[in-house]
Amino acid sequence: MKRRNFIKHTSLASTSLLVPSFLNKTSCGTNKVVGEATNNSTSTSTVISQSNTGKNLVIVQFSGGNDGLNTIVPFRNDLYYKNRPNLAVSAKAVLKADNDLGFNPVLTGLKSIYDDGLLSIINNVGYPNPDRSHFRSMDIWHTASASDEYLQTGWLGRYLDHSCSGCNSHHLLEVDDSLSLALKGKQRNGFAMSNPKQLRNLTQNQFLKTTARQKHKIKAVDNIDFLYKTMIDAQSSANYIFEKSKVKKTQTAYPTTEFGRHLKQVAELIMADSDTKIYYVNLTGFDTHVKQQRQHELLLKQYSDGMNALVKDLKTNGLLDNTLIMTFSEFGRRVKENSSMGTDHGTANNLFFIGGKLKKPGFYNEAANLANLSEGDLIHQIDFRRIYATVLEDWLEVDAKRILGKSFDKLQVV
Amino acid sequence: MTDQRKIQHLYWRAGFGLKPNQIREKTTLSIDQAVDQLFRDAERAQQSPIKDNSNYGDISNADHLSMGKELKVAQRKKGRNKVRKLNYQWVKRMTNPSQSPLLERMTLFWHDHFACMPQQPHWAVGYLNALRSNALGNFKEMVLAVSKDSSMIRYLNNKQNRKTSPNENFARELLELFTIGRGNYTERDIKESAKAFTGWSTDFEGNFVFKEKQHDFGNKTFFGKTGKFDGDEIIDIILEKRKTAEYICSKIYHYFVNDQIDKQRVSELTDVFYNSGYDIKKLMMHLFKSDWFYADKHIGNKIKSPIDLITGMANAFNMKFESKDALIFLQKALGQVLFAPPNVAGWPGGKSWIDNSTLMLRLNLAKNLVEQKDFDFKPKDDFKAAGPSKATKKIAVTTNFNLFNQTFNGSDERKLANKLSEYLLQTDINIDKLPLDDFTNNTDKVRSMALLLMSLPEYQMC
Repeated sequence: MKRRNFIKHTSLASTSLLVPSFLNKTSCGTNKVVGEATNNSTSTSTVISQSNTGKNLVIVQFSGGNDGLNTIVPFRNDLYYKNRPNLAVSAKAVLKADNDLGFNPVLTGLKSIYDDGLLSIINNVGYPNPDRSHFRSMDIWHTASASDEYLQTGWLGRYLDHSCSGCNSHHLLEVDDSLSLALKGKQRNGFAMSNPKQLRNLTQNQFLKTTARQKHKIKAVDNIDFLYKTMIDAQSSANYIFEKSKVKKTQTAYPTTEFGRHLKQVAELIMADSDTKIYYVNLTGFDTHVKQQRQHELLLKQYSDGMNALVKDLKTNGLLDNTLIMTFSEFGRRVKENSSMGTDHGTANNLFFIGGKLKKPGFYNEAANLANLSEGDLIHQIDFRRIYATVLEDWLEVDAKRILGKSFDKLQVV
Repeated sequence: MTDQRKIQHLYWRAGFGLKPNQIREKTTLSIDQAVDQLFRDAERAQQSPIKDNSNYGDISNADHLSMGKELKVAQRKKGRNKVRKLNYQWVKRMTNPSQSPLLERMTLFWHDHFACMPQQPHWAVGYLNALRSNALGNFKEMVLAVSKDSSMIRYLNNKQNRKTSPNENFARELLELFTIGRGNYTERDIKESAKAFTGWSTDFEGNFVFKEKQHDFGNKTFFGKTGKFDGDEIIDIILEKRKTAEYICSKIYHYFVNDQIDKQRVSELTDVFYNSGYDIKKLMMHLFKSDWFYADKHIGNKIKSPIDLITGMANAFNMKFESKDALIFLQKALGQVLFAPPNVAGWPGGKSWIDNSTLMLRLNLAKNLVEQKDFDFKPKDDFKAAGPSKATKKIAVTTNFNLFNQTFNGSDERKLANKLSEYLLQTDINIDKLPLDDFTNNTDKVRSMALLLMSLPEYQMC
């Protein structure tokens, strides 16, 4: 990105003022980490984005386990109607797309994205020995682990560690108050921000700012340096995003929900050519054990309207070819509905890619086989880590093996 | 290094910090005296196990069987709420001076080690007592108690571990996380040991149930030995290996001493632990009485866990959470909810507590709590209904500065700053260089200065 523009930026000036003396020294006679902290927080080069591709990645997480079967509906499958006597979407109402599959009727926005050739639907994504606990399964998706393996860092966090070591933490932004495991690395973390103004105010503590400027004696212990560095990074990133979020304002109507507001934030930052290149957005409430239909459709409509608005903004600004949006959930739901007009935790599920440069728009693979279930649940065909490998190598153009720990066959999708 | 800082170090690591009025009393003790006192208190407190006040214990297996599905669902929901109450009571116990900080600290360590998410209050009480009653006892007894614990059996699917279809989940974690650690066993060892735990089951009342028909009484070949081993014998074989003692001591060192492992010290601890036949009390006594435990490099180098931070503030200001919801909201926001570790590996701790969001919350926390400001923060929810966003929430606490003021009032200006920082901060800081005067409110100098010091990154360390 444009270095000159950035240096003009006020946040840089305030950042260097804030660096406490112990971080400014190149050598404190202590340890390596201090040296690294120096590199990351004081030299201008690291404040400049290291993203080489200029591409944006937006990840949308459906939390709670989205009912994929009622999202993309197998409307010609008798087994679907047999298993869902109360909850099935009627064949008549489905927005037909393929011979066998159609969209839930509230997904008009998503359907038009599909019609424009900007959507790829991957069916039957999951992993071996599926775990039906939200927490555990979400962990598995976030860390890209096997189901009997416990990792403490997220796949995007490791992307920062290995492939983007010079990037700012706001290179990887979760639009939320708290940071998900997916964005936490060993050395580096992504950045969490729900409301730029609010966050900026929170970081403007004058006492801390003044203190950080003072030359005070500090035992150069690794952990305290890390806290200072995180604090200074947070102050500068909060400033940066606050300024960037004012550059472009969209006129497009987004859903008036928190999710809609977050997507709008993403659109405006992308339009302002922010250093942020990876965005993470949550839509929660998919754990529909009881009286599913209304709740599920409200969520799907929010998602569909939101995507429609985002795609429109990106298209208008010529940014759609540079942007990839991936939507996933930690698991799907049980094929058979339960006795409370809802569905219970399941396994494999569909996953969506939206973008201007998809290799195979439409349906990437066949629908789930409802005749061959494992304990009432779908059997996955595509390991989700193959999808991550594809995104990492074919979109972010980095070595996926370093981040995922081993090689996975890629999909021909982006 | 002042004696006060050393005593505080002991209390931060072996407990949850000191209350202001304890400073004078404790600094008159030698380290050995203070350590002995902590262990005496622990032994006394251990005499009274945690009681189950949930009434869930009254529901018999037969009652539960006859419940309809909807009743069971409602029951489960109520039960989870009662587990949250146990969380609240536990945090209160940590800062209750008539209880034992050492015992609760050790119990918390073991909760992190034998990480588990109990779903019902009476199971949670059983789990907590299994940890608490063995917290300073013999490790073998502890492993056995945990292996037979109702919460753990459910959490690691041992109810599904049957001769005809073994479930290896428990056996895998027993080896990988609870005892000997990764790299010291084979996949075959997991398969074989899983057989030894077949039929180790539980009922609704939370009893351990041995289901003879589901147990595999045949031969197992484990760590090179062959025999008709049951779970008890498998644990014996694992503990025969010095590697097991080493793995535990390495975790102890990491948790109680320093993130950076010192192999020589771990080996010293391993000798004590292994040679004593896995006596946890001997190990911890040795650690806390070692000179090197009080070395400069170990003091104030640990990032406080959310529980350390919360209990430390509670001790300083006699702070009480008005409801369990207020406490749990805060635990969630900071990233550590008791009885709900992220997974069976426990909380990774250290730097992983910190990101931009949690750090900003932490730096502003003391002031926000004491002044009862709104939190503009919404933790991730539990995957439930979407609902309207509730970003702002007050965390209702009461604070009482009497003890604090009695301890610090009347000092002159410079002395006050020094006295406060000596109590509140475990790291060196040049107090004269801090712009305290410019930011101190003169109408309540002690409190205002304390809150400023507590907003420093240094306060996040213990």
